[in-house]
Amino acid sequence: MTTLTESRRQSLGRALEGIVGKAAVLTDPQELMVYESDGLTLFRALADFVVFPTSTQQVSALVRLADAEGLPFVARGAGTGLSGGCLPTEGGLVIALSRMTRILEVDYDNQLAVVEPGLVNLHLSWAVGPRGYYYAPDPASQQACTIGGNIANNSGGPHTLKYGVTTNHVLGLEVVLPDGEVVWLGGKTRDPLGYDLTGVFVGSEGTFGIATKIVVRLLKKPQAVKTVLAAFDEIDRASEAVSAIIARGLVPAALEMIDQVTIQAVEDAFGCGYPRDAAAALLIELDGLAAGMEAQAERVVAACREAGAREVRTAKDEAERQLLWKGRKSAFGAYGRVSPAYMVMDGVIPRTKLPYVLRRVNEIVAAANLRVGNVFHAGDGNLHPNILYDPRRPGEEARVVQAGAEILKVCAEVGGSISGEHGIGLEKMDYMPFIFSPADLATMHRVKEAFNPRGLCNPGKIFPTKKSCVETGPAYRAHPIEEKGLAQRF
Amino acid sequence: MHSALLDKIRGIVGAESVLTGVELSPYVLEGRTPAAAVFPGSVEEVSALLALASDEGIAVTPWGGGTKIAIGAPPERLGLVLGLRRLNRLLEHEPGDLTATSQAGITLDALQGRLAARGQWLSLDPAFGEQATLGGILAANASGPRRHLYGTARDLLIGVTVVAADGSVVKGGGKVVKNVAGYDLPKLYIGSFGTLGIIVEATVKLRPRPDDDRLVLTCFERLKDCGQAVRLVLASDLIPSAVDLLDGEALRGVGLAPGVETGGALLLGFDGMREQVEWQCEEARRLLAGAGPVAQRVLEAEARDAAWRSVRELGGRVFPEAAAQLRLAVLPSQVAEVIEQAGAAAQRCGLRAAFGAHAAVGIVTAVLAGGGESAQPVIAALREWRELVRAAGGHAVLERAPLAVKEQVAVWDPPGPAGRIMERIKIQLDPKGILNPGRFVGGI
Ligand SMILES: Cc1cc2nc3c(=O)[nH]c(=O)nc-3n(C[C@H](O)[C@H](O)[C@H](O)COP(=O)(O)OP(=O)(O)OC[C@H]3O[C@@H](n4cnc5c(N)ncnc54)[C@H](O)[C@@H]3O)c2cc1C
Repeated sequence: MTTLTESRRQSLGRALEGIVGKAAVLTDPQELMVYESDGLTLFRALADFVVFPTSTQQVSALVRLADAEGLPFVARGAGTGLSGGCLPTEGGLVIALSRMTRILEVDYDNQLAVVEPGLVNLHLSWAVGPRGYYYAPDPASQQACTIGGNIANNSGGPHTLKYGVTTNHVLGLEVVLPDGEVVWLGGKTRDPLGYDLTGVFVGSEGTFGIATKIVVRLLKKPQAVKTVLAAFDEIDRASEAVSAIIARGLVPAALEMIDQVTIQAVEDAFGCGYPRDAAAALLIELDGLAAGMEAQAERVVAACREAGAREVRTAKDEAERQLLWKGRKSAFGAYGRVSPAYMVMDGVIPRTKLPYVLRRVNEIVAAANLRVGNVFHAGDGNLHPNILYDPRRPGEEARVVQAGAEILKVCAEVGGSISGEHGIGLEKMDYMPFIFSPADLATMHRVKEAFNPRGLCNPGKIFPTKKSCVETGPAYRAHPIEEKGLAQRF
Repeated sequence: MHSALLDKIRGIVGAESVLTGVELSPYVLEGRTPAAAVFPGSVEEVSALLALASDEGIAVTPWGGGTKIAIGAPPERLGLVLGLRRLNRLLEHEPGDLTATSQAGITLDALQGRLAARGQWLSLDPAFGEQATLGGILAANASGPRRHLYGTARDLLIGVTVVAADGSVVKGGGKVVKNVAGYDLPKLYIGSFGTLGIIVEATVKLRPRPDDDRLVLTCFERLKDCGQAVRLVLASDLIPSAVDLLDGEALRGVGLAPGVETGGALLLGFDGMREQVEWQCEEARRLLAGAGPVAQRVLEAEARDAAWRSVRELGGRVFPEAAAQLRLAVLPSQVAEVIEQAGAAAQRCGLRAAFGAHAAVGIVTAVLAGGGESAQPVIAALREWRELVRAAGGHAVLERAPLAVKEQVAVWDPPGPAGRIMERIKIQLDPKGILNPGRFVGGI
């Protein structure tokens, strides 16, 4: 919270109510606490107000007010982010978009849709599914996360190996700029005029303004799908199989790896048919035309066998396919059985560096006297080591954070990145120098100045800053959507 | 330019890499001759040149292969032409990672040759690959027919090294295919036409080379039928890599449908495994038979390559002497109609027109010819076209026209309210305005 005088707090409250109505403004500290964290429960920050606009005009009026009053503000979607991106680090206003959920237009001829930012990702695919279409980016949180949050974080998912991440599916945005002006970036047509502002807005983690309408591409559902499970006695063999598949000219829709710790947790919990004693398994999905699908599957099987797979199995039917995916997707829920808590890391490496980096990850975690489960997007080289720990033991959470930083350093050293999908937010601000020089960061900062010159829009993120009233740990809590069994962390 | 300054430039790159005087004729732009053309051999040299230019306030025009250098408003100032052709090394190619990092001055064909030797390619197919450089392709956001399936530069560029206006070397993105650390700076440089920085290195995503690659060419009596055919294809299970449309004039101009009375043709590209390509060609035939084609052919090998080349280089091939070329972006469903209306408008102005389109993404190339000595008919037709595109909710770029026409018809549409942000970005990244001043959208 900021240090507002009581009279100012009240007059601001009245002004906000004038814009969105009394029922759409929260000021009670008890109610505000619901919005103090996101999916990364390590950090907390309390807003002065949480407001729920229902239209672009309202968002614009709110932002104009914040700008006039010098009040920091931040957009919030579903709050499933895993880097603290939507936290009001300096207090002020949380602009929650959960009431802007309409699908404004679906144009099948042009394979696009125009949606409001609070729309839940999966709801779009549900809406267009009956006509044979879907929205491709599929974060594991897709039953809860919003398209606005996806835009801000440039979110990915298992199927982004073939189909790309959020940015590859966004054509245009209506944005409320940090001074309240409403502008369109891009639109429904391709190759927008001038600089690709849509392209830089996506992935800007809510620091360039608030997206109020989003034009997305829709894809046709594939004619055929094939899912293969390959089990390995050595994790290095599984890593090599990943490169071997790519080297054979195949581009699977998904190529995921699950290590032994995870397999055993999953099998104990759900019994999905993964071999318990395997060191690692690959889940490989091909999709596309029915023609040639068999031949492609054969190439995948051969690549796995040559890399030393001890067992390769193709799902016979949709039921078996679902079961295999369940094993992959319920991994995080399963960790709960073997550990009181875990923290998900997110780093990227060139996929040919997998064997080396996975070895290093295990060493780092072991040296910290902790355990790790790996379940990740191997085809993209997007690692998600999940460090298992007990938050009640003094000092353990700090060791987890430290080990996480070391892992990211290794990712950086092999030419990778410190985040593949969860973003920098609050969590990784201090790690940016692992991969960016002062000149790189200064350039990013200049671009931010162009959009957000006063810095009121989502302050204290991405770039290190001193001014902040964030509280940290010890704080592991399962995210509400995990508790409801709606999603697992990838 | 003072000779002392020229000496400094020679000191940076070596005298043999600086052109002056009559040697500058290939670098004359809209009738203006630069003070010098310089060809640095390293990123450090580019950096030193820009630091100098920035100190002295000299305008700099980055120059790749020059295939798209004419796009843009006439330059406000033309100082140094900075040629990238010596920065032509492929730096890294790890097939298992499906990525490559190259210097920006490599030509597309040279790059593709190196990648092909290891079974991969960069899935971009703009015109003039033998001359166009990687950096220029990115800076101009150039694309070709296969963008339909494989996307454009924004889908393929994962990292970029840029020399900024003040000479500092800046990296954006990285070398991995998935990366959300920090802002997505590579997007900013794509299509920025050299106004924000000079791209010196780029890391791109690659694809495996397909086993098989064919083109199904289907001619229809009327252009309208082509539009209908596109709709059929998009609603089917087919996964073409290219969906292009040529009108009757374009087909005749490039000689793609000899002896056929046709108002337009649909060109479908299919690539991938042999079995897939065969099934798709057969399925496309079956599907399009229902739309009443007047002729259909499947092209392979040289015939296929030649056909795609005609499509890509339509502007330079369709008429012996084209008067102007406009690139339009409209909704895919409007392509056939917009072409018909634009054709009628050209006729009213007494001109000939030909059209090619990446139909399913709504990108149309429109070429004008005729008008004789006077620029007036061309100006009138271009104005009508612009109006037409505006009414359809799209936008247009005047890609090629004589200076007399450019003085009357804007190269770029006005950017609207977002232009304010573009200007601010320009001021932030090039505060002295030395990079390609005045050539871009909104006078940037
Ligand atoms: C169980 C679980 C699984 C997950 N799996 C994945 C996964 O597979 N892949 C993946 O990429 N991520 C995953 N995530 C992370 C998270 O779901 C994504 O980052 C998601 O996109 C966040 O959406 P949200 O609506 O919850 O956004 P929030 O958390 O509310 O906000 C995230 C950021 O977006 C900004 N923002 C929100 N709305 C807007 C708007 N309209 N305009 C501008 N900025 C806005 C916020 O300010 C903040 O910076 C997972 C999270 C959980 C809890």
